[in-house]
Amino acid sequence: MTKRNFLAALRKQLADLPNEEVEERLAFYSEMIDDRIEEGATEEAAVAGVGSVDAIAAQILAELPRTKQKKAKPTSNKRLRAWEIVLLAVGSPIWLSLAIAAFAVLLALYAVLWSLVISLWAVFVSLAAGAIGGVAAGALVAISGHPLSGIATVGAGLVCAALAILFFFGCHAATKGGVWLTKAIARGIKRCFVSKEKEK
Amino acid sequence: MDAQLKRGLLDVCVLAAIRQEDSYGYRIIKDLKPYIALSESTLYTVLKRLELAGLLTVRTSEHEGRLRKYYHITKAGLGRIEDFKDEWREVMAIYQFVSKEDPER
Repeated sequence: MTKRNFLAALRKQLADLPNEEVEERLAFYSEMIDDRIEEGATEEAAVAGVGSVDAIAAQILAELPRTKQKKAKPTSNKRLRAWEIVLLAVGSPIWLSLAIAAFAVLLALYAVLWSLVISLWAVFVSLAAGAIGGVAAGALVAISGHPLSGIATVGAGLVCAALAILFFFGCHAATKGGVWLTKAIARGIKRCFVSKEKEK
Repeated sequence: MDAQLKRGLLDVCVLAAIRQEDSYGYRIIKDLKPYIALSESTLYTVLKRLELAGLLTVRTSEHEGRLRKYYHITKAGLGRIEDFKDEWREVMAIYQFVSKEDPER
């Protein structure tokens, strides 16, 4: 086996080690082989003198936990963080747009809620207007010589008034609910930020 | 030989091999051959351990157009050899006591 093949084979077997450590070990064995050659050994004999790649790799990997642990832990931690940052940056076109979409959907739901409340109030206002208009117009019609249709119009106006009163309670409850929900959401957001700051 | 004992002996042997003058890997192995079998992989581990413990320092210098690492013993390294000698005086005394009792069985 040539020195080059030996080092290449050893590098392959040590692939799991940190790069820096692999380079240091390869330099060490390279120096050992060169020193044997300098002493008069053939390249073949010098490589054989160092030992088999399998045996060397097995011994290095067996000793690994003791020699590697202390160094590997902090670097792996840092690497993970850097990795996460890179992932966040690279993935930003995806997760950012998804987050915006989710936010938009929630905002739309919130807007729908308030538009429902507003439309309920609009119905109430039109019923109230109908009641007033109906009663007033019916009275005018009755006075001007059409008592039957006048009374019918006043009746319709009164029905509108009754519905308006019912709707008022509904609208009032819906508005209260909307306000309560808004306050709850605001509290939730506030709690989210406060707890995050505490974590930091 | 007990692994723990051998580790301690290897450390002191390697330190002793660089005590007189700075030495390099292959020469350390050759110098120690008559006393203790030492593979390249084991030597690497021992040298790393001694370096981390501050018992030796490493410098790289050029030799015949290539790089070679030379190991230099520190004061702490010399101290370790002295500690070893003191310990072994005690061990030898115990050894003599133990082997004196042995044949009289």
